[in-house]
Amino acid sequence: MHQIALTAHQLVKRYGGVVALADGSLEVRSGEVVALVGANGSGKSTLGKIITGAVAPDGGQLILDGRAVHFPSPQAARRAGIAAVYQDLSLVPDLTVAENIWLAHEPIGWGWRVRRGAMREATARLLDLFAGTVRSTLTPETPVAALPPDERQIVEILKALSLNPRLMILDEATASLDSNQVARLFELVARWKAEGMAVIFVSHRMEEIFRLADRAVVLRSGQTVGTRDLRTTSEQELVALMIEGGLAVESRSAAGATRGAERLRVAGLRAGAVRGVDLSLHDGEIVGLGGLRGQGQTDLLLALFGALPFTGEVRLAGQPVRFTHPSQAMEAGIAFVPGDRTREGLLPIRSILENLLLPSWHRYGALLRLTQARRDAQAMAQRLNLVMESLDAPVSSLSGGNAQKVVLGKWLLREPRLLLLDDPTKGVDVGAKREFYQSLEELRDAGVAILLYSSDDEELLGLCDRVLVLRDGQVRAELAGPTLTRAELVSASIGALMGETS
Amino acid sequence: MSYAPAMTATTQVRRALAGRSYLFSVLLLIIVVSINYALQPNMFRPASLSGNLRTYLPLMLLAAGQAIIVIGGGIDLSIGAIVSLVNVIIVRALGVDPSPGRIALAIALGLLAGTLAGAFNGLCAAYLRFQPIITTFATSFVFSGLALWVLPSPGGVVPPDLLRAYAANPLRIPLAIWVAALVLLLWGALRATRFGTYLYAVGGQPLSAYVTGVPVSLVRLASYSIGGLLAACGSLALTLNTGTGDPLVGGPMTLPSVVAVVIGGTRLSGGQGGIAGALIGVVVLRLLDSIISFANVPSWWQTFAQGMIVMVALAGPGLVALVRGQRP
Repeated sequence: MHQIALTAHQLVKRYGGVVALADGSLEVRSGEVVALVGANGSGKSTLGKIITGAVAPDGGQLILDGRAVHFPSPQAARRAGIAAVYQDLSLVPDLTVAENIWLAHEPIGWGWRVRRGAMREATARLLDLFAGTVRSTLTPETPVAALPPDERQIVEILKALSLNPRLMILDEATASLDSNQVARLFELVARWKAEGMAVIFVSHRMEEIFRLADRAVVLRSGQTVGTRDLRTTSEQELVALMIEGGLAVESRSAAGATRGAERLRVAGLRAGAVRGVDLSLHDGEIVGLGGLRGQGQTDLLLALFGALPFTGEVRLAGQPVRFTHPSQAMEAGIAFVPGDRTREGLLPIRSILENLLLPSWHRYGALLRLTQARRDAQAMAQRLNLVMESLDAPVSSLSGGNAQKVVLGKWLLREPRLLLLDDPTKGVDVGAKREFYQSLEELRDAGVAILLYSSDDEELLGLCDRVLVLRDGQVRAELAGPTLTRAELVSASIGALMGETS
Repeated sequence: MSYAPAMTATTQVRRALAGRSYLFSVLLLIIVVSINYALQPNMFRPASLSGNLRTYLPLMLLAAGQAIIVIGGGIDLSIGAIVSLVNVIIVRALGVDPSPGRIALAIALGLLAGTLAGAFNGLCAAYLRFQPIITTFATSFVFSGLALWVLPSPGGVVPPDLLRAYAANPLRIPLAIWVAALVLLLWGALRATRFGTYLYAVGGQPLSAYVTGVPVSLVRLASYSIGGLLAACGSLALTLNTGTGDPLVGGPMTLPSVVAVVIGGTRLSGGQGGIAGALIGVVVLRLLDSIISFANVPSWWQTFAQGMIVMVALAGPGLVALVRGQRP
């Protein structure tokens, strides 16, 4: 295998006004495994995607074997010997395992015919690498649609391997694998490393990072803040580096003194990615759902809103309930603010008025009492400090923050008792966020119970009375008062032990 | 969000039918052949069988083209209009009492026109990112208009030698069967190339195909062009069968071409299925028509039945989910 040396030097990536990566730097060479670590939103995925050509940087340099390079597409990076294994898979369900692995670099024989026999044999050899850890039904001829998530992930890994890369990026590639498969993957990585491959390992799992990687590059708020040799570094040191200014950042003054009766009690709830959650939520309280992305937070909210079938017990104000449709949850005084504003929350080309009143038209009679409706909408717009041309302007004319206020407002018009929010400020600018928080705090003070999932740790720390940290679909920690700190939140998210330091 | 139960159910069905999507159409074929045989046994005598297959062949070629486009994730609602256009171009180019050279020229012109019409659809769908259904609906009027411009009213004659050639039974096997076999053979060769895999990948999961390095737009363009070429071949067969030109002849063939694809076990959402099923689908459809006409009811029942088949095919997955109590 040819030697490789890749250096990323002060890479920058902006999405609109949001800086995803401000100074991403790392070095990796043949025979080395480098872990890329950082909290939510630290920019590690963006850095990985720039290296594989999936994202174009706005600044900085990528130096491959001593020459500055620029990858306009994943194919260009692939030609340079860089292959990536992503979590969001790139497989075609209707094609077989072999067809997927060799897609776009099939062995070609006489008359442009794909050499299916050769392809099958090569696939079988690749599958042998994971023999014993997968079901016997995983063959070169199995359609990918018939595979469970772990085997799809393995096919994805083999697909990257089939390109004979000099540098492989494993982006959360272990998330859906079981422990045997992870162990096998690590053996293989060790072998590839000995053969001279370079590996970049993006992961949240501390234990795996220490098992696999030689060095760790730590990112914080889009900046590379340090590189550590993992043989001489402790887990605590690494976590401390991930958390700004070390430890113990103060949270907001615990103002939620006006806690009322219990609004929601959940016991043993299972739905989608949620594997047994207990929680309790009182009127006049904001409870946060924290943790890494995709640990079941959204599924929990959807289940409570009746949009996802679940098992377990849900009590609303003491009464057991079982919603099978969102309309029942709405009837019971629950509102849900979805994360994807434009697709799930709003009708972008319709007016602000229509959007605000969409869930409430039934209150205005069969022949709509439009004057009354307009008055109510106007009052809501004022209450939320909506910056707009007029109620008749389309929602698409609003800024992200104001648009999200419309989503909130349309549910507030129904006067909910329990408000569920699914990462509501994603992609909203800082000023609008603050106003949005203010609206939430006002609601809390008015006695509404609020359950908020956020991928922004600052938001959870600044806004919530309590934060439940989810990992693998279960509540792993409940943080409140003195324990509601950034350090606790991050270490509970990634499952690190903070014994001595907390 | 996870809808695991629905996934595994469809997965099981898919695995059971993997590579055998035409089985359902074979079953239907057996049923309609049995019914037809019970109603009118004469239909399966060699002479009438050969005659019937001659009238099926144009639609078979059309359905094969439609199937390739649908597998690639598109659909062509202008395929009937392409037939009309090619038909009038061939008839006009033949003129009166043509020389062999002129005949070859007329056929070449027709095939070229069909391919170009398909390529035009492909350009709009692949590079301009128009929605296939809207694009081809619109272009169907463009092609129909062109057909009317080339030949405003039905007319023209095809030399009797050509008509006789089309009615031939080489080695006592109807020409239609030879042609269908040739189409299947060529399809098998195409399927075995890299393009074959690309076509299914683009129809199944275009984004995954794209990030893997498949030239998605080029594959789409090619699928529409091949579809256009096959539609032109279908039009040639039709011209040789009817022996005249008619600017409106292809219009009513669009719906049956889609229905045949559906009966042949190809999902309208793409990425799956094959040509063999579509060819069988045409025979099933035509025999179904003959059952309906034997029942002595108005002929619009045929269109009604075809529409219902497409509706059931489209509604099938949704209905299954509804019955199982799952949300979309």
